[in-house]
Amino acid sequence: MTRIKRGYIARKRRTKIRLFTSSFRGAHSRLTRTITQQKIKALVSAHRDRDRKKRNFRGLWISRINAVIRGNQKVLDIYSNLIYNLYKGQFLLNRKIVAQIAILKENCLFMIANDIIKTKNPRRYSGKI
Amino acid sequence: MATATVSTLCATFGTHCAISHNPKPLFSQPFNLNRFHSNSYKLTFSPRSPLSPLSPLPKAADSALVQTQPGSLDPQPAQLVPVQPPSWEPGLFAVIMIGSRQYIVHPGRWIVVQRLKGANVNDKIALHKVLLVGTDTSCYIGKPIVTNAVVYATVEEQGLDPKVIVFKYKKKKHYRRNIGHRQPHTRLRINSIMGYENYPKVTMDDIKSDDSES
Repeated sequence: MTRIKRGYIARKRRTKIRLFTSSFRGAHSRLTRTITQQKIKALVSAHRDRDRKKRNFRGLWISRINAVIRGNQKVLDIYSNLIYNLYKGQFLLNRKIVAQIAILKENCLFMIANDIIKTKNPRRYSGKI
Repeated sequence: MATATVSTLCATFGTHCAISHNPKPLFSQPFNLNRFHSNSYKLTFSPRSPLSPLSPLPKAADSALVQTQPGSLDPQPAQLVPVQPPSWEPGLFAVIMIGSRQYIVHPGRWIVVQRLKGANVNDKIALHKVLLVGTDTSCYIGKPIVTNAVVYATVEEQGLDPKVIVFKYKKKKHYRRNIGHRQPHTRLRINSIMGYENYPKVTMDDIKSDDSES
């Protein structure tokens, strides 16, 4: 076989990985072997967290809706009642939109909640609002 | 210009919550419709010819559109009739459902949705699945949709999202796969929200009257 010197083939490969890891902290952006490991971990985390992102946001929206509905004086309700009645009343609004409305256009949400409450018998819940 | 106003609106949120009245939601929540079986409200998708400035635009009771008159252009090209932008009710917004995702939409802004097959650039689209229309003072709440409400949009661009790297890796098992993915999308410019006037309207006064009664 012809003699082949390795030259800078490995270096070219590693520079690309180094570029990806360039903003990491400490040795994770400086040492070659650590860099390859950190890039793998970063990409795996990104892949996994893209699915987690959907879960996280849904929880955030639920918390926000709950906070706005419980904390206001105009409409007396809680999140679980609101969602139950949204489904019963055949509203198609999802939690993301309701959370956004709750933050940016509170009055609109109160109108929706009021509308729902008027058209049903109030459910009994254990007193604490 | 649209993005500048957008960034001020969503300044209250953290980095990821670019989902406010922002025309560019960063991601979606697939809505679970298995709870009840409503009628299938179809998204109609009517590409029309590109809107020429001389043809009459569909009129709404609230918006005032100034039509550019054909006669004024010819004799005096230097003296153009100033076309005012159509005036909407203040704070007009709608919630529409496209591709089983819901978006808050304002007239004049753009949103990015899943790729609409068969839509070419500069096609006009009518969206009928309007779940909620709201203004500063009142709200038209759809059960489940606001009947006869239509949102007109123009297809601005059929592009691809930035690349995400799907990296699959199992440790100590010598398995790794590196796949790049660009999701196709369509960018729509929302022209107008119409047809909601005759729907029962709810205002804050209803709530106040209820409070005073009970």
